[in-house]
Amino acid sequence: MYIRATGNISPQKTFGHQPLVDAVAYTGNRLACIEPDYKDFIDPKQIRRMSRIIRMGVAAAMECLQEAEVKVPDAIITGTAYGCLEDTNSFLSKLVEFNEELLTPTSFIQSTHNTIGAQIGLLLHCNHYNNAFVHRGFSFESALLDGMMLLKENDAANVLVGAIDEITNTSHTILNRLGLYKQGPVSNLDIYKTKTKGTIAGEGATFFLLANEPAATDYAKLDGLHTFYKPEGINDIEKQIAAFVERHAVSMNDIDLIITGKNGDAGEDKVYEQLGQTIFKAKEMLNYKHLCGEYPTAAAFAMWLAAVTIKSGRVPAALNYAGSADKKINRILIYNHYQGIHHSLSLLSAC
Amino acid sequence: MSDLKTQIIAQLNLQDTKPEDIGDDQPLFVEGLGLDSIDALELIVLLQQQYKIKLSNAEDGPRVFKTVRTMAEYITDHQAQHA
Repeated sequence: MYIRATGNISPQKTFGHQPLVDAVAYTGNRLACIEPDYKDFIDPKQIRRMSRIIRMGVAAAMECLQEAEVKVPDAIITGTAYGCLEDTNSFLSKLVEFNEELLTPTSFIQSTHNTIGAQIGLLLHCNHYNNAFVHRGFSFESALLDGMMLLKENDAANVLVGAIDEITNTSHTILNRLGLYKQGPVSNLDIYKTKTKGTIAGEGATFFLLANEPAATDYAKLDGLHTFYKPEGINDIEKQIAAFVERHAVSMNDIDLIITGKNGDAGEDKVYEQLGQTIFKAKEMLNYKHLCGEYPTAAAFAMWLAAVTIKSGRVPAALNYAGSADKKINRILIYNHYQGIHHSLSLLSAC
Repeated sequence: MSDLKTQIIAQLNLQDTKPEDIGDDQPLFVEGLGLDSIDALELIVLLQQQYKIKLSNAEDGPRVFKTVRTMAEYITDHQAQHA
């Protein structure tokens, strides 16, 4: 299947299909999305009722559909681990504040995890297949797998697949207290050098229009996806990677670039460093979480990076690529894990 | 009525709308301000939060929420009855 179009709102200047030249630098352990003027994409009457994450998701989806020149996709599939946190926080706070007697209807209605997919469907008057996956660190991958199966089984000719997760003040405070993030001032551009515990919080809304037939404007071909849960150790991970690559009739030598989910947490990054000494030895390995931060659906940002890299044939400067600038990138393997629990592999190649 | 308009704008998050933009007798729903059923729920919550008024009879809704003036009159009547 083919990646026909993308839409991406992230802590980098990714919206509007701008080339990712310089990485936006942040100080602190939280990266926030750079948001566009939503009025260009969403009816102002609708905007007033949408919280930040809904606006981000809807705008990224609309940009993706505009690029694909698709008005109504055959399916809308979203993946989110946290859902609409701001709305959830709002209605729960009011519930406590008013002694469980009053709900704020809008926040309550929009606090569910399928809100963004539903809002996109409503705005497009799209009554087709609409599903949301809430599978923690596999939320995006599950949505993607569902879309791939729909295309494979010819139940759809095109599908809109996206991942959306936000960080709010409340969730950041809680996750910070749980020790997920680095303490003290840290720059996102230096997170791989710190060798300390914790990562940096991130968020994003990334959408793809996948199609089962190729077109001249496609970004890349999505060759395969594989997820595995709580592997037994590094040997098990190596076996999973080797089997995945072999299953798609390629060898490690055919892969031009590996994008890993390294996030600056000394403990979580060990896996990537060990693989760099074994199965990924002598391969170009690039990291992306200094650009978007860590969040359960960050792998969608990696897939967007892989897609734009393959389409242009060149690695964006923000990735600090040390390889030859003349080398055309035709095939990329993405290996990501979330908290050492949810592991995923995706393989993309030039069309 | 100006306070009530401010409260409506805040409750419904009517961006770019000022109290003076809402006419006292302008219809709130469909035409006029263009509110819908979710907004009606928000207005019921507003009455309860700000004025401790529970709209017990749903059939009163269309009459009470017709305009800002009808809302204000309903609030004033209710407060007079419970003074």
